[in-house]
Amino acid sequence: MKLIGVALAAALVAAPAGLQAQERAAVKDGFELAASSGKRILILRPSVSVGAQSTGGMFEPNADWTEQARTNLAASLAKWQSQLGNEVVPVPVTYGGDELLVEEYMALFQAIASSVIEYQFFVGNRLPTKKQDNRNKVFDWSMGPGVASIPGAENADYALFILTKDAYGSTGRKILQLLAAAGPGIAVKSGEHIGYAGLVDLRTGDLLWLNADGQMGGDVRDAEGSEKRMRQLLEEFPGSEIEAD
Amino acid sequence: MRAAVHLCAAALALAGTSAALAEPAPAPPPWTGVYQPQGVDEIGLWGEDDESERKLAASPHIIRDEKLLAYLNDVLCRTVGADRCQAARIYVIRDPAFNATMSPNGTMRVYSGLLLRVRSEAELASVLGHEFGHFERRHSLDDFKRRRSSGDILAWASVLAATVATREAYNATTNLRYEIYGSLFRYSRDQEREADLLGLGYLNESALPPQAASQVWENLMGEIEASSVARGLRKPKFDAIAFTASHPPNGERAGYLADLANPEGAFRDDGAERYRAALADWIPVFLDDQIKRNDFGGSEYIITSLATPGWTAELWFARGELFRTRGAPRDLVHAAEFYREAIALQAGHPGAYRGLGLALLKTGKTSEGQAALTTYLDLEPEAHDAALIRLMLPKEDAQ
Repeated sequence: MKLIGVALAAALVAAPAGLQAQERAAVKDGFELAASSGKRILILRPSVSVGAQSTGGMFEPNADWTEQARTNLAASLAKWQSQLGNEVVPVPVTYGGDELLVEEYMALFQAIASSVIEYQFFVGNRLPTKKQDNRNKVFDWSMGPGVASIPGAENADYALFILTKDAYGSTGRKILQLLAAAGPGIAVKSGEHIGYAGLVDLRTGDLLWLNADGQMGGDVRDAEGSEKRMRQLLEEFPGSEIEAD
Repeated sequence: MRAAVHLCAAALALAGTSAALAEPAPAPPPWTGVYQPQGVDEIGLWGEDDESERKLAASPHIIRDEKLLAYLNDVLCRTVGADRCQAARIYVIRDPAFNATMSPNGTMRVYSGLLLRVRSEAELASVLGHEFGHFERRHSLDDFKRRRSSGDILAWASVLAATVATREAYNATTNLRYEIYGSLFRYSRDQEREADLLGLGYLNESALPPQAASQVWENLMGEIEASSVARGLRKPKFDAIAFTASHPPNGERAGYLADLANPEGAFRDDGAERYRAALADWIPVFLDDQIKRNDFGGSEYIITSLATPGWTAELWFARGELFRTRGAPRDLVHAAEFYREAIALQAGHPGAYRGLGLALLKTGKTSEGQAALTTYLDLEPEAHDAALIRLMLPKEDAQ
């Protein structure tokens, strides 16, 4: 398993640069959330992970950056959530098993969001079972009705999942990127900035709105950058007053 | 350049370790007390590890038995010393695999499959001590750094080869890749040897016999061999090192662990009886998990070795379940016999009557089988499968 990491890191060197023209947000057919419609949104604690990217492309966790980003992102979320357009329900304090359930749904959300990016947003990479949906521009993904069991779900209509993962390119990675581009002309990606925000129906588990991007802006390690990141994550949120950059 | 230095260092470390593995392991260095992670890498790893421990603590897969945990903790403290053991937190994971790990922040994961296989406090102590050795030497951090520098070298080599763009350059990169992968695995095996050395150091200093460490691997080889024989496979080679082996071969470990043990410790009390008493409630549960692995030879080996000090009703019952699970007609005949042995030792063993009844029904002994199942329902009227079992009984009995 460790070696796979090295193999992938080596493979990354030859990976193509990101696709700029890719779409990155979608809404489930027929879903509309008007401002002040009396719906309640449960906001889950964002999942945050920040580190560096080694020359070979390995993720190097950085506890200090992660801690800063957690504080900054929580502060900017508190600021933006008042503009979401509907009532926001805080997550109740949970212990033991319930906490794990939230973690598990956060992991499921990450898996679904990355599948949406890979198989729906990325044109030309279609799952056989999703071909029809893609042709008709149908956005139909679900976490299943079990999501109703997460703590706080009984007092809300929707849940907002937010996840960020940042790997800042190390100096070595940046030099490698420069030389690879200048010499053999290989595009090496330096740094990885993933941000997913998704609204889930707490009755059915259906994914109603998703904003998912593998190349987000805003440096989450400082307050200003975190605010930019959070705005990027929440822009185009149905019924919100937050405007795009 | 850096790669070459690393490779030389690895070769030297290996030479050093093998030389040191011939005589009893020295006492561990003095304990430095509570350790806090240093530097970006280590603090980052510990941060991730803390998160993972939080999840583990809430996981449905761990066994929350305070008495069992207190006992395991006591064995660890008697192995590595009362000061060192404060750095560890033990979690028992219900998983029938033979495994234990200790991660950078002091999270020790003990698999139930390990508890099923070791037979004394001393054998358990040798595995816990080995894992503690990884922790004390901070092997995860070394390993992380090594993987990172290996990845860096390969990234540079790939760009370089693409710049030069000759066949020779590509071949050289491919060779370098294998060389680096090989050195990572070799390094991992050396870490294991180092942890073994330190583990035996603790054991030599403790009140437990260090010879148990070698015995653990002898037993494991016995199990693997029994498993292969039952499948009709050739006897495994216990001294061959595969390219991707993360651990030294079992045969080699059993050998040098015996050499590292202080001969004077051989007559110490190994705590086998205390171990059996402490695990008595759990062994039947772990045996049930093991039987479900569908490894007939391995499970039979474990059951018969647990029976070395004497057969118990639970062991006869487990053996009956093992044979009935494989379920060939000849197995069912043996299974019935084993269930009867269990009943002879413990008259009201509900599971044994259930198994006996089912085994007899399948071998055509209908009335005898139904009688056994009736006894099962008398003993356990609220059993989870009571309704299903009643369907197998004649109508008048089913009322």
